[in-house]
Amino acid sequence: MGRYVIRRLLQAIPVLLGTTFLIFATVYALPGDPIAALGGDRLLDPLLVARMRETFHLNDPLLVQYWYYISGVVTGDLGTTFRGVPVASFFQHKIQVTFNLAITALVFEAILGVLLGLYAALRRGRWQDQAILAFTLLLVSVPTLVSGFILQLVLGVKLKLNTGIDFFPVAGIQDGWRSYLVPGLVLAGLSVAYLARLTRTSLMETLRADYVRTAVAKGMPRRRVLGRHVLRNSLIPVITYLGADLGNLMGGAVITETIFNLPGVGQQLFQSVYLRENAVVVGIVTVLVLVYIVANLIVDLLYAVLDPRIRYD
Amino acid sequence: MRVTRGVKLAAGTALLALAVAACGGGGGDSKESGSAGAQPVRVQIAEPQNDLIPGNTAETSGSEVVSALFIGLMSYDDNKKPVNRIAESIESTDQVNWTIKIKDGYTWHDGTPVTAQNFVDAWNFTAYGPNLQQNNYFYSVVKGYDEMNPADPDGEEGPKEAPEPSAKTLSGLNVVDDKTFTVELTHPFSGFPTMLGYVAFYPLPKAAFGADGKLTADYGANPIGNGPFKMSKPYKRGTDQTIDLARNDSFKEGQAKVDAVQFKIYTDLNTAYNDLRAGNLDIMDQLPAEAIGGAKAEFGDRYIEQPSSGVGWIGFNVKTGASYSKNPELRKAISMSIDRKTITETVFSGTRVPADDQISPVVAGYRKGACGEACTYDPAKAKELWDANGGKDVKTINLNYNADGGHKEWIEALANNLRTNLQVEVQAKPYEKFADILNDLEKGKVPGGFRMAWIMDYPSPENYLRPIFATGGSSNYVKYSNKEFDELLKKGDSAATFDEGLKYYQQADDIALRDLAYVPIYFYTTNGAYSTHVKNIKIDPFEHIDLFNVERA
Repeated sequence: MGRYVIRRLLQAIPVLLGTTFLIFATVYALPGDPIAALGGDRLLDPLLVARMRETFHLNDPLLVQYWYYISGVVTGDLGTTFRGVPVASFFQHKIQVTFNLAITALVFEAILGVLLGLYAALRRGRWQDQAILAFTLLLVSVPTLVSGFILQLVLGVKLKLNTGIDFFPVAGIQDGWRSYLVPGLVLAGLSVAYLARLTRTSLMETLRADYVRTAVAKGMPRRRVLGRHVLRNSLIPVITYLGADLGNLMGGAVITETIFNLPGVGQQLFQSVYLRENAVVVGIVTVLVLVYIVANLIVDLLYAVLDPRIRYD
Repeated sequence: MRVTRGVKLAAGTALLALAVAACGGGGGDSKESGSAGAQPVRVQIAEPQNDLIPGNTAETSGSEVVSALFIGLMSYDDNKKPVNRIAESIESTDQVNWTIKIKDGYTWHDGTPVTAQNFVDAWNFTAYGPNLQQNNYFYSVVKGYDEMNPADPDGEEGPKEAPEPSAKTLSGLNVVDDKTFTVELTHPFSGFPTMLGYVAFYPLPKAAFGADGKLTADYGANPIGNGPFKMSKPYKRGTDQTIDLARNDSFKEGQAKVDAVQFKIYTDLNTAYNDLRAGNLDIMDQLPAEAIGGAKAEFGDRYIEQPSSGVGWIGFNVKTGASYSKNPELRKAISMSIDRKTITETVFSGTRVPADDQISPVVAGYRKGACGEACTYDPAKAKELWDANGGKDVKTINLNYNADGGHKEWIEALANNLRTNLQVEVQAKPYEKFADILNDLEKGKVPGGFRMAWIMDYPSPENYLRPIFATGGSSNYVKYSNKEFDELLKKGDSAATFDEGLKYYQQADDIALRDLAYVPIYFYTTNGAYSTHVKNIKIDPFEHIDLFNVERA
């Protein structure tokens, strides 16, 4: 298995080089002058713009700029933003914030999604099943923007004003782990719905399988049938989904991070693409690619745990 | 057994996740549950663009913080006129050579006195091109600026670098003694003292500079100022979500009424507004437009609405533009067919007010209704004027705007005005970014009307006229040029007193209003609100909150 892991990690190197160049070229191709944009509605002095363009090598061709960037990265210098902040210095912090958010969402998602799906599958066709299906439909149809603002208003503002309970902060990360509860829930919303439906379908299929009928006929206790035979065998698609979703949660939290003022990667990525901060965009995307690669690797390794027929040698 | 192992593994992952989530953000301050007295006054800002250095701070968020940490030679009274602050006197007989004396007793946060040298050092640093300070251009009025900022031989896009400057200091600055220095300008300018209240002209202490004559990195994160508040801990830009200031107890003008101020950084105004409503934030000087209707009702007396320094125009290239751009009568007809009141009330929900002068109401020299008939909505007369001056031959009016600044709605509304009232086809053309439209404007490639706005640099009427309407002015995208106008500005510049200068500037303003190369549409307003924890909130023409006088309620 060790060799398998090493092989997978080595495959990541060309993938990373390719993505950094593609992203760099895309950002390069965006129209407008990023330095002039720093002034907003106010015009910057043309002399200042000229000097800054030279400092950041913006007058050089694409390949030369990319060379400056990548040779910096190799020597451990991730570059600075146009606002003069070294990329490396705030990177770690932002990724930590987004990681906390994504993991909180993933925990919500895994617990709620699997439980709802399990319950629905066991009550197939009855009103509980119908209710869960309707609920997931609701979750899918409400956009994050709406659910985010509503939960922020209800749990952050109204709850405090009306009852004095000051448990859920409105925004920011000053309140430690509590800061991530509501945003995590909002971010998990959509995936909970998918996961519940996925679990339900997968479970119902397994429940009809011959080996389950055999186990029941042998007189195996229900709990053991469900846990050992049904759940374990139905979880493979679920795990696959969760693994891929971790990447989505980390890169796709733009709206949630903005609503709840979490200084994370999504927020930064949006701003940086807008400001054409190549160094930051490429840096963030590289990290996201790494997360995808590692998450998928873990998923593949988990298959072996769930299904003894799968082996990596 | 395998199952057990699987369950353990899953449980282990979940625990790890919780642990990670729990320790994140633990570095931040936990919310204070003690008495309200222990809580700082919390003010909303966006992330400052640069380090908290006066010479490099040009946007509102950074300068909000900088103006709590620093004070300058001048400040502005309730009539928007400049008054001495650190300055004892600022005098000149010819409006070219100025002698500035400073008061005793002002000190830096580290205890050293504020001297004339501190001003000269800071000004030289900011004016030196290679230091890349955003407020560099303010110093172009001082003699010796050109030597410190040689032009790039092939323009800003070219590969050649600008040559090394031939001077490292402004030749127009001279330190006479500890409390006196002289300034020589490139031309007579009676408005010079009005510039000196702006952050660009704040001093810097000796401690700010390293051995190489540059500002130290340490200073940028933890600046030593001379204002009513000082840094209570260094600010890590890009990482920290708050900037914490504590009262400067040895401030010459007395102690601020609150002992601590916390600037909270938000990326989204709606989020900040929710925090304000929940009592987690005390002052916002900028409300989200969609919240304004509700804020008036919810905050009552604690809602603030006052003019700010911005002016929004539709400009027309009078040299190389389309027929309607070149004809002042047609421009006037366009101006008269715009329903400014409805646009500001509906599209902007009251965050703008109709403009009736080229000069903003926040500076001395503004005259209510100066624009007169030309800025008054009168569709019938507009159509008459339009037809009488060959408007019938105009097939399409083009309106250009940048799509990255939320201008689409009002441009469309304005286009509808023109369509209905002048019975002409109107095309609104978005540019993706502000920088793109500027590019085309500089090259004279925009024949039709275009959106433009101006935010003042310093509160003088001159600042609303010269850069915009003077021949070769830095923001004169309409290519307007009028000898009489230029002469009046010069007269205003060499006037002996502020009030005499005002007279000439207003005459120049009349010419700009007559020709309407830029048609004034609206003035910006400041819409703010504050919590029940604070009172006595005042906002100055630069949109800075007067934190020195804020009190706990």
